[in-house]
Amino acid sequence: MLGSVPTRLSRWPVMSRIVNIAIASVGGQGGLTLSRALAIAAVLDGYSVRTGETLGMSQRFGSVLSYVRIGKRVFSPTFSTGEADFLLGLELVESVRALPLLRDGGVAVVADTLKIPISASLEKMSPRVDELIRELTRRSRAVIVPASKIARDAGNPRAANMVVLGVFQGISGLLTETSLRKAISEVVPGKWLETSMKAFDEGLKYGVSVRTVP
Amino acid sequence: MKAPEGVRIALMGNEAIARGFLEAGASVITGYPGTPSSEVITSLHEYGVSSEIFVEWAINERVAFEIAYGAAICGARAAVTMKAPGASVALDPIVSSAYGGVEGGLVVLVADDPGPHTTQTEQDDRWLGFLAKLPVVTPSSPQEAKDLTVSAFDISEELKLPVILRTTTRVNHTVGEVLLGPVRPPKRTAGFVKDIPRFVRAGMSWNLERHRWLNKQLDIAEDVFDRISPVRNTVEGSGRFCVVTEGAAYNYVREVVDELGIEVRVVKLSLLFPPPRKFLTEALDGCSDILVVEELDPYLELVVKSLLKDRGSTARVYGKVSGSIPLEGELSRGLVRRAMTSLLPGTPSSAPQEVQPRQALKVPPRPPPMCPGCPHRSMYVAMLIGISRAGYKRGEVPVFGDIGCYALASQPPLEAIWTEHSMGASISMAMGAKVAGFRGPVIAVIGDSTFYHAGIQPLIEAVHKRVDMLVVIADNSVVAMTGHQSTPAWSTLESGRKARPVIVEDIVRAVGVDYLEVVDPYDIDKMINAFERLIKQPGVKVLVSKHPCALLEARSRSLRRYRVIDEKCTGCLACIKVTGCPALFYENGKVSISADDCVGCGLCARFCPYKAIEVAGNE
Repeated sequence: MLGSVPTRLSRWPVMSRIVNIAIASVGGQGGLTLSRALAIAAVLDGYSVRTGETLGMSQRFGSVLSYVRIGKRVFSPTFSTGEADFLLGLELVESVRALPLLRDGGVAVVADTLKIPISASLEKMSPRVDELIRELTRRSRAVIVPASKIARDAGNPRAANMVVLGVFQGISGLLTETSLRKAISEVVPGKWLETSMKAFDEGLKYGVSVRTVP
Repeated sequence: MKAPEGVRIALMGNEAIARGFLEAGASVITGYPGTPSSEVITSLHEYGVSSEIFVEWAINERVAFEIAYGAAICGARAAVTMKAPGASVALDPIVSSAYGGVEGGLVVLVADDPGPHTTQTEQDDRWLGFLAKLPVVTPSSPQEAKDLTVSAFDISEELKLPVILRTTTRVNHTVGEVLLGPVRPPKRTAGFVKDIPRFVRAGMSWNLERHRWLNKQLDIAEDVFDRISPVRNTVEGSGRFCVVTEGAAYNYVREVVDELGIEVRVVKLSLLFPPPRKFLTEALDGCSDILVVEELDPYLELVVKSLLKDRGSTARVYGKVSGSIPLEGELSRGLVRRAMTSLLPGTPSSAPQEVQPRQALKVPPRPPPMCPGCPHRSMYVAMLIGISRAGYKRGEVPVFGDIGCYALASQPPLEAIWTEHSMGASISMAMGAKVAGFRGPVIAVIGDSTFYHAGIQPLIEAVHKRVDMLVVIADNSVVAMTGHQSTPAWSTLESGRKARPVIVEDIVRAVGVDYLEVVDPYDIDKMINAFERLIKQPGVKVLVSKHPCALLEARSRSLRRYRVIDEKCTGCLACIKVTGCPALFYENGKVSISADDCVGCGLCARFCPYKAIEVAGNE
């Protein structure tokens, strides 16, 4: 399920300015693990990094937004509306909510997962997958990824975050794969590591295939 | 975090502080969980430390501080961590500690929360410096957090005073690159030298003498800080327009100055109390206009103004008092940019990237709910039904809440609690309503950890004064909201230490309540029945709602899952309206259950009027 396919992105040029990445998820989906993996890999690649997030168990099943900033020298952990180069979404409603952060021409990599909030169910006003995807593709260069399916096929239904990380890397080439793999091995507990890595690899393939579509 | 000296790794601010504790050779590290401070001790538990170091959660911040203070007057290096309201809990011993002082370094981490993201108030604990007369230092990044932690111990030992390491969320919870330093062996006690005038606060002439000593120490604090700390008060750039800032706010200033490409003088403070007057006098020399960029209160603004007044300077000062910087909420690059450009003619008023969001699809809000299978949910559902069965309307029985996950019941559809104030306040505030003449029944809801922390004394008060109330202790056997820390009921702690469990019911019995009942809230009908009976009964009644946190339980037991039988579901929403469970959702006229999220508590099935929810099988 693809939205408007990004024009071919070559490997990200030497980071001459700070790259801003927003990560939108529902608490418990692994958005924080994703942001931490990016931060670890960025430092391994010799960059300066800052992440901004709200932590605590109380965020479970609530909206969670993380900021990741990578560059030669970064100070602030957050950024404002219209400043994100990438939006990584683990859930559709949260990705649409975070869309204003994305700059013109920014790329959204979003899992096609929908978690309907209680507030919507109570009003019988549940958002639909197709309208959320339409919104994402209308307002950004969006890549919609069947991340849950890919993760399940890789043997780890909870690794959709690693699939999205792989797709992001496949499209952007922002960091080195070696560093990302090392980062994943640091943030994912041992028994889930093999399947998480497989999920990342499958995401990577997916991202590369999307990138090279003419 | 265990990497050797000289390695650069990505660490969260709180992990950097934890590493700083180890590099400084702290041997007693304690605190009470509270966002955004919890990960300091959590990460030490996760990575494991030598048995020479005591790293444990304490029952509350006050006890934690006193443990650390006791260690420090015996010459050990000690540290204590807490969120901002925790510092208020510990304030009594903190203020007195300035008079006795310490022998081993003592560092008190107090984490403020501009925003606020996870705190009841936007209180500014920089004022602790003026109030407690203790040095206050603040970092702006994870690297500074680690380095300043280490030097805070050295400063503390040099001045013989506890040092407050004051942080904000955007430092505690920010991951950044940190260059590690060497880890020193833990400094344990070298013995306690008896010195009655120094450590006994019962002698008023001693106290007067110690106050004189304290003021002398504060007089030399700036010099000691300059000599010891590698994280300095700094001046960057030059010019007659000056920005004074500190901590997380510095990061926004630094980037905005670079973005605008303007020549301004940026003065950054790392020592906040005593205000570094020598440094500031020099740093502000020749400034015509000064913008103070800080979060929470206009603390530095008042410091700068008082200094300028004393020196007869006519420089103009802008900040929170002048309205250039908002008094509430956290700062951002955008807010700082606006403040600077409005004061600097000729700079672009907004950066080009600040665009208006395009016409957008509205998406429903998603405030954090209680998790699927949360035992608190079952307890609240039973409570609301119990109130009706006892013959009252929901709006007639005030429910005084307390601090923890169970406060999430303030959200629709339950909207079950009427107050959430401060640790332990549920019981005391319910008592206040009764002694003020409230005629109907009142309920207080408090979690197990909050009960240990600050609920025991209120319960004694209610029993002693014979105040009718129902106290519900929601016991999920863990400090859940801050990330599953241990409670005094645990027999093996995170560190591996064997402990003697102190059980909620034993305390309640010892206090002498009129009635005690322990019910598993998953047994929903028994729970409803208990509420119905206890609401009507006079006296102080304690109902312990006992079931482990669902997140923890799901890790250890095999799950039953439920599913909706499509043909039977009418889409009446009874299940969602009664429970508010986030594993339930409404789509295409029917309710469904998210198999990924259901943990099989069965509460929704119990309340489906059409018997449309059934067990889908065990996993």
